[in-house]
Amino acid sequence: MLNEQTDEQLLALALDGNEEAFTALYRRRQGPVYRFALRMSGSPQVAEEVTQDVFVFLLQRGRGFDPERGAVGAYLFGVARNYVRRAMEKSHSEAAMTSPAENEEEFLVTDSDPVEGIARSQTSKAVWKAVLSLPEHYREAVVLCDLQELSYADAAAALGCAIGTIRSRLHRAHEMLVRKLQNSAPSLAGFSGDAARCLS
Amino acid sequence: MTCREFVETAESLTPLQLRTMQTGDEAMSVHVRECAGCGRWLESQRLLGGALQVLRTHTEREAGPHVEQAVLRAFRAQGFEPLASAEPDRAAPAAWRLSRFFEFGAYAAVAAALIVGVFLGARMWRDSHSSSSHMQAQVTGIPLQADPHASNPGHANEGSGIASPDSARKSANPEMAKVAPVGFRRSQSAIRQVRPANIDRQGFVALMFCDPLMCSGDEQVIRMELPGSASSSAEGGSSQPVIADVVVGEDGMVRAMRIVN
Repeated sequence: MLNEQTDEQLLALALDGNEEAFTALYRRRQGPVYRFALRMSGSPQVAEEVTQDVFVFLLQRGRGFDPERGAVGAYLFGVARNYVRRAMEKSHSEAAMTSPAENEEEFLVTDSDPVEGIARSQTSKAVWKAVLSLPEHYREAVVLCDLQELSYADAAAALGCAIGTIRSRLHRAHEMLVRKLQNSAPSLAGFSGDAARCLS
Repeated sequence: MTCREFVETAESLTPLQLRTMQTGDEAMSVHVRECAGCGRWLESQRLLGGALQVLRTHTEREAGPHVEQAVLRAFRAQGFEPLASAEPDRAAPAAWRLSRFFEFGAYAAVAAALIVGVFLGARMWRDSHSSSSHMQAQVTGIPLQADPHASNPGHANEGSGIASPDSARKSANPEMAKVAPVGFRRSQSAIRQVRPANIDRQGFVALMFCDPLMCSGDEQVIRMELPGSASSSAEGGSSQPVIADVVVGEDGMVRAMRIVN
């Protein structure tokens, strides 16, 4: 029954004290929020803190949500973005941002082929490092559009900017990522060559 | 397809979409085969898409159960009493905070308009209240602001600048106006009630339309005795004099009148 409700309906019920509605909304939205925080910060601890803070914020300030300004999902990403930024400022964890997940093993999906699994792990680590080293605006665009697979419109609503801004940031971020991967992981097939575009 | 057309087409797709694209666009495939630069660029974007896909898969996780428990504890502790304030929190997205600012501005403007409206309404009510008490006094025949100079028209002309009965006689028919004298002033608001409806509650009939600026100022009510031939009732042959109250403005022009007898 509750699973058929929209996010907005669940939020309204939750703010009226319906715990089941709140639980349903949490279970539906905690994954994307957690992954966004994880991919932005590179730290599972920060991601869990942010997830908790985002939903507590929703409880306390959820009445300020206006569906005409965007979807609940975009709103939660916007809140999570601010909490990630705040957590980064508080902990000064630049180190965490440039070296993702010390316990890398726990992030690995078990591969049937161990060699392929190691290759994937190396690729993932190299790409994540490159993503985390991007300036924040570009990183947000990559995480939301490429990793969270949000539409440009939803990403723009979450970041409070125009769709064109998202497009240009994404384009620039891709160029930077390719350059970083060429420099840091030339062993990754294909990134060793010159990827300059021909504009003739 | 030119290189620019190729780039425009390819840039509308994300790296993940480029990676999964099975060269469905024949023109793009042909161009990639012909142009080495665009081929390299497409290949790098596809590789980037693949790498991002790997990262996406490896970070496809969810928060632990202890987070859910903590959030639910916060929910139960919330109690859902009325929240202290709707003040936007620092964590709210910037677009929301900005629009909340304008929303509060709109609320403030509406509140200011209400305050001004209440103030003006109270003032108008006070004016109308004072004018109605004027009217009541007039109906009962008690002049509230009896003009001390009314019995002395010449003095009234000199001192207060209010039209004297003499000047009223000049502007009305001088032959008709024989007697004057009940002088008391009507307030401007009382006069205002005469004008719009042409006849007011006291029976005054507006005799002319005048510019509000010209009609500003005090008026004077003068009781006059008119010859019976001047009234319409006199057409029947009555020769009895008619007593009328005439409202005379500062400029000596007659604004309104009513037949008393």
